[in-house]
Amino acid sequence: MSGEGAARLSLRDRAVARIRAWSARRHGEDTLPVKIERRRIYIVPTRFGLMLASLLVAMLIAGLNYNSNLGLAFAFFMVSTVLVAMHHCHRNLLGLSVDAQLEVDAFAGADAAFYFMLRNESAVDRRNIEVCLLDPTDSRPPGARASCSIAIGSYQELMLAVPVAHRGVSRWSQFELRTTYPFGWFRAWTYVHASLTAFVAPLPRGHRPLPAAPAAAGESMRSESSGEEDFAGLRSYAPGIPLKHMAWKSLARGGEAAVRIYSDLGNRPEWLEWSALDGLDTETRLSQLCRWISQCESGQPRPYGLRVPGAEIVPGRGPAHRSRCLRALACHGSAPP
Amino acid sequence: MKLAAPFAARVTYPQLRALCACLGLALAAQVTSLPLWLLAVILAAVAIRLSIAARGYAVPSLTIRTVIAVVSIVALFLQLRTFNGLAAGSALLSLVAGLKLFETQSRRDLYVVALIIYFLCLAQLLRSESFWLLAYLLGVSWLTTAALLRLNDTTPPIDWRRSLRYAGRLSAQAVPLTLVLWLFFPRFDSPLWRTPSDGHGAETGLSDSMSPGDITDLALSDDVAFRVHFNGPAPPAAERYWRGPVLHDFDGSTWRRSPVAHGRAPGLTPVGVAYRYVISLEPDQHNWLFALDWPDRWNAPEAYLTGDYMLVRPALISHALDVSVTSHTHVETGEPLSEAMRRRDTRLPAQRNPRTLQLALELHAAHPRDLDYIGAVLDMFRKQQFFYTLEPPPLGPNSVDEFLFDTRRGFCGHYASAFAALMRAAAIPTRVVTGYYGGTYNRFADYWIVRQSDAHAWDEVWIEGRGWLRVDPTSAVAPSRVQAGLEGSLMAGSPIAAAWHGPLSFLSDARLQLDALRQLWRRRILDFNVRSQNQLLTALGIPQPDGQKIAMVMAGGLALAFAWLTWQIRREQRQRPKDAVVRAYDRLCRKLAAAGIARRPYEGAEAFAGRVVAERPELGPQVTELCRRYSRLRYGSSRRASVERWFVARVRAFRPGRAPR
Repeated sequence: MSGEGAARLSLRDRAVARIRAWSARRHGEDTLPVKIERRRIYIVPTRFGLMLASLLVAMLIAGLNYNSNLGLAFAFFMVSTVLVAMHHCHRNLLGLSVDAQLEVDAFAGADAAFYFMLRNESAVDRRNIEVCLLDPTDSRPPGARASCSIAIGSYQELMLAVPVAHRGVSRWSQFELRTTYPFGWFRAWTYVHASLTAFVAPLPRGHRPLPAAPAAAGESMRSESSGEEDFAGLRSYAPGIPLKHMAWKSLARGGEAAVRIYSDLGNRPEWLEWSALDGLDTETRLSQLCRWISQCESGQPRPYGLRVPGAEIVPGRGPAHRSRCLRALACHGSAPP
Repeated sequence: MKLAAPFAARVTYPQLRALCACLGLALAAQVTSLPLWLLAVILAAVAIRLSIAARGYAVPSLTIRTVIAVVSIVALFLQLRTFNGLAAGSALLSLVAGLKLFETQSRRDLYVVALIIYFLCLAQLLRSESFWLLAYLLGVSWLTTAALLRLNDTTPPIDWRRSLRYAGRLSAQAVPLTLVLWLFFPRFDSPLWRTPSDGHGAETGLSDSMSPGDITDLALSDDVAFRVHFNGPAPPAAERYWRGPVLHDFDGSTWRRSPVAHGRAPGLTPVGVAYRYVISLEPDQHNWLFALDWPDRWNAPEAYLTGDYMLVRPALISHALDVSVTSHTHVETGEPLSEAMRRRDTRLPAQRNPRTLQLALELHAAHPRDLDYIGAVLDMFRKQQFFYTLEPPPLGPNSVDEFLFDTRRGFCGHYASAFAALMRAAAIPTRVVTGYYGGTYNRFADYWIVRQSDAHAWDEVWIEGRGWLRVDPTSAVAPSRVQAGLEGSLMAGSPIAAAWHGPLSFLSDARLQLDALRQLWRRRILDFNVRSQNQLLTALGIPQPDGQKIAMVMAGGLALAFAWLTWQIRREQRQRPKDAVVRAYDRLCRKLAAAGIARRPYEGAEAFAGRVVAERPELGPQVTELCRRYSRLRYGSSRRASVERWFVARVRAFRPGRAPR
């Protein structure tokens, strides 16, 4: 189909873009989860359906011309089957509840993974439901599509992996649910007008060491003044941590190898600074910062903060903090979300 | 493009296998009308493709596929000489389907095969009138639709049983729409354009010539020649002569229709009652209609009476045909016989049957009056040693001589032929009439069945002043043949016949009932047309139906059918399959509520049982037991089907009775 000439392709694409824009105006912004109602489901015959339709016309003419009541009965049976199949195709989407994760993190050059939740509260199976992402500027659907079936009274989680090439914020203003169930004669679809955002962080790269000197950290660990009141908890052992911090008792009880942390050790933040990377271009700097974030998150049990022009993330740790830092990198140079 | 991906998706072996099976079933129904080599090519293509799919070999190259396609299409054209027409078109489509399967790689190819299967089903129905074929082909289309479901529904692949069930339910939902469309869709009286003829089907029934042994073949056939429904009383048995081809030209052994038409039919003056009836003809590929002697008025377009009162029409009867006819069993001819007709009907071959000529001269000399002479000849058949048999000895070129003087065993054809020869030898104009005699009354549906075994031949002689007079010489030999029909005359003493009419009479009844169904099928379904639509509308209370009203009724019917469909689909969607245990518990609660203790909405099963024990101690043990079982079945970790059944049965048997006052 791709070789059938650019003129037809663009004509069709323009039509699809118009329908989408019209649908967006008609329904406005959706708040998830969305229950798919009758008035937002569109249905058209597929190419196979059009082939079948012309066959049915031929059947009808043949039956009338031969004046054959049995031939007509068969032709009408086929026509009716097609009409019923159209209802079934429409029903396959009707009443489905859709929820989606609106914001995800990703790294440039890899995939942004969007999660969708489809819930079927009715008494019929929903089969062959396809979810795909739509870009308002480009009517051609991206390569990202995934399909699933949802059994009676259950739900299904669907992951859509969208390749993202460049750092920055990628946004999709709507996504589409479609189905050609049951026989591929019709395609029913619906648009969900909800913004999906992928914060695309730079690919972690660069070989610069972390700015803070490891010696300082070692010193704080060695401080003998720390008593029981400074003990802040246990964390899992990583190579390089002095053996005197090992929690031998916990190991002896059969637990995993752990080290004791002391409050003053955990409290000294690591600052990842844009200004520490003078002489590099923007993207390389951001890549290095991203790598540092990864190192800090998986390395020593210390909070870290991030300073880039226009944004400062106060020190912290954990997945939420990491996500905040990565989004700051993704948004660098563009307007914040 | 949006459709590119699913359209081009590769097919799996099970998908391919399913569609191959459907194609095989569709082809099986027309196995007799396809050239054998074509079937072999299609089967080979399917087998090769399936083994390729099963083993994972590569599909043959484009060159090989093209060569195979071109060679087989050319061969098919050389054999059929045309691709026009239904049979040739079906053959070509079958071949295309086979070739398409051969090269199937993507879903699109299988879609094409599915469409061809649908069309093959239709093509066979266009020329068929069989209920069973319709049922079979609807089954094939059901399987094909299920195969399409399996082709399209792949997340995860749906299994066979579920796809069949789903396609079946969908087809069932299509039935009301189909009925509305079929009943009210506008029909045409004449085809839109002439349908290309596929050559003739086999001729059946009487032909337009008669050798003495011919009718015996028919007499052994049980096939239906035609069916008749009388509007009013049927004529008495002795007058149920169904007139077929009238034969004039005799060459010594065979009688033939005269190739030249001899003027119009002389006018007849009806005497006595008129019989009105509808005759349902089978497609016998002849151009004459069988009508009761003597036809007077008829409604078949373009049909006309020949000079010898045969009802013929220009086109062959290749479809089942219903004709309304009015006949008079007694007529008078006012006009004299034309000279040409007299010459034609007294001609005898000069060199044949000399002994017969001699006998005729002697007899006619003894009985100079024509009617006396006829009586004498019939007396001869009656009194001398002539036998009526279905297995007459073969006769040579002087067939009448051999029959009259040597063998003396024959069937109705022999007697009619010999009688006519004797009459003509005495210069009495005589012709042989073939047709059917009698018929079986079907008391289950008020019509008569005339079978091939009722085929008969008789004579008509011209008597000055009285016109054409029917003489049935067979009745002189075997009166029972004429009175009781063939079965009666031949098998009166046989044990089979006795059983057929005695303890096994239910079999002949069943046969009649089956035939009544067939006739119903034919009249209600096969012959459904504009007139039937109008009658239907009149029956629905719509006066003076016309095309516009039919269209309106169809629109209304379609709206109703769609409303039903929408309701059906919504109901399916809403219906929650309720647990048998829950239903049984609801029932228990209803019974207790009727007995005066209603469960409160917030009350659990055990709490409710406790209250029952307090209020109606005599029900206590039973209800406690049931409620405990219910909790365990509903919330316990394991459920056994036997316990469930036990619970349901106990609830059903539970009788609380009214509260004591």
